[in-house]
Amino acid sequence: MKKTAAKKVDLTTKIKNLTFKNPVTVASGTFGTTTEMESFIDYDKLGAVIAKTVTLYARPGNPMPRICETASGMINAIGLQNKGLDEFLENKMPKIRKQKTPWVISIAAETTEEFSVMAKKLDAVKKDFAMLEVNLSCPNVEKGGASFVKKQETIIDIIKAIRDQTDMVMMAKLSPELGDVIEIAGNALRHGADGLSLINTLRGMVVDVYKRRSRIARDSGGLSGPAIKPVALRYVYDCKKAFNCPIIASGGIRDWKDAVEFLIVGADLLAVGTSNFVTPNATMQIITGIESFCREQGIQKLDDLRGTFQSAQSLGCK
Amino acid sequence: MSVKAYDEAVIILENKKINEKYLKLSFRSKKLVQGVKPGHFLMMQIGDKNDPFLRRPFSYYRASSDRIEVLYEILGYGTSLLSKKKKGETVQVMGPLGNPFSVKIARKKRVLVAGGVGVPPLVFFAEKNRSDYLLIGTKSKQEVMPKKELAKVKAKVLFSTDDGSYGTKGRVTLLLEDVIEKEGAENIFIQTCGPMPMMNAVMALAKKYEIPGEASLDKTMGCGVGVCLGCMVKTHEGWVPSCTEGPVFSFDDIVEAGV
Repeated sequence: MKKTAAKKVDLTTKIKNLTFKNPVTVASGTFGTTTEMESFIDYDKLGAVIAKTVTLYARPGNPMPRICETASGMINAIGLQNKGLDEFLENKMPKIRKQKTPWVISIAAETTEEFSVMAKKLDAVKKDFAMLEVNLSCPNVEKGGASFVKKQETIIDIIKAIRDQTDMVMMAKLSPELGDVIEIAGNALRHGADGLSLINTLRGMVVDVYKRRSRIARDSGGLSGPAIKPVALRYVYDCKKAFNCPIIASGGIRDWKDAVEFLIVGADLLAVGTSNFVTPNATMQIITGIESFCREQGIQKLDDLRGTFQSAQSLGCK
Repeated sequence: MSVKAYDEAVIILENKKINEKYLKLSFRSKKLVQGVKPGHFLMMQIGDKNDPFLRRPFSYYRASSDRIEVLYEILGYGTSLLSKKKKGETVQVMGPLGNPFSVKIARKKRVLVAGGVGVPPLVFFAEKNRSDYLLIGTKSKQEVMPKKELAKVKAKVLFSTDDGSYGTKGRVTLLLEDVIEKEGAENIFIQTCGPMPMMNAVMALAKKYEIPGEASLDKTMGCGVGVCLGCMVKTHEGWVPSCTEGPVFSFDDIVEAGV
């Protein structure tokens, strides 16, 4: 590759009519709801913030233990603990409104009707959010989440119901737990989603050999962290190729190199998740790292790097 | 009362066994020492990258103007790896985190009840604040803290060992019952830190005798900064993260301390 010294790298990332100053954001549920991490990072430097998933009604969350470390990652079964949408709008919004960084709200529900009600309430405050992420794939709840949306018709109904209530930019957050991601993604995009958020955690478990029971109170939970990165990367690649739609990539992004891998296969935004727990300023390091890489590679605009993956097919391999 | 936390790479000054139970890790940092009070904790990244993946929480044992000491036990994979770190190696440390033990109490006598990894923060407390009793429970004599580590403790220190090889034979709650009898339940305030079964036994006694107090709960933590919601404690307000709402909780606030 040609190496020319470029002074400032343009990290601007566009999705629909939205412009983000850089592609780095945080995955829902790993960074709090408002500005909980302000001791460690400068929120103004983030491309966007994706808040922890909110549900229509308050959810107490799952029993303990909820988390367990695994090889290169962790399993969690938090259970979408939150105080509900009304509390969010009343108590969290004033703080979020003061932020310069675009905020993305993430929602989950137990029924299509609840999704519809939430979408309607959010439409009234849509100017406060850049996008709406629809969490269709939380593995840790009895009702709603991945358990309720396993039917293709249900996903279509949810997306349509939300689209009927709001014209917010809508990203459907999917995981392979739901079934064939390509099929589901196609349905979501055809019925009103503007893009995809890939991927949510993968269900896993850890057994305590002395107690012969799981280390997670609910037996299984969602695996996240670097352990799932190769899987996430493959889904982002497949979906970009199939639909050429906006994609928020998440799954094991730990450093700038991970981030660049996702960019090369076509990701638009890069959501750092579990790594925030280990390195609270991981996002800041990743932004700097992407910039340095581009400079070193003579890339002036991130769009010149994005989606430039050279497939075996394109290289003439059989 | 949380203070500003920092995340810094520090160079290990010493990391050595001080007895059969504990190792002492020391490092220098001006930032990580700011505002530290007994009961605060830090999160240490032991692996370089993904192994072990999460940080581990440790209580502050001592914090002077720029030197920090951590006393730890080898309890699992992370602490086992930590024990192999040599002087001069680097670890990433974030702190101070959480809320410390209360200094002001509404009763006449302060009784500290410690065991296992709960001994260091309460020794730290008893060095900084005059206390009436420091009760320490261990399995046997080999695990008792060396005398010089307790030299600056401003409290009457009593020991119990499970096998009776040092101090009173039996659990630390036996010592606590003696103190309650001697000083009167109505005069006592308890502050406890140690393994969950020990603290649950201490809290059961406190409930029986209607003694107020605080427990620094030992929970598996993911992030240490209140965003992963993994170290939850059931309180009258619902599930709250131990890392930001605790780890020191008033007995009154705890509905379920956990096991």
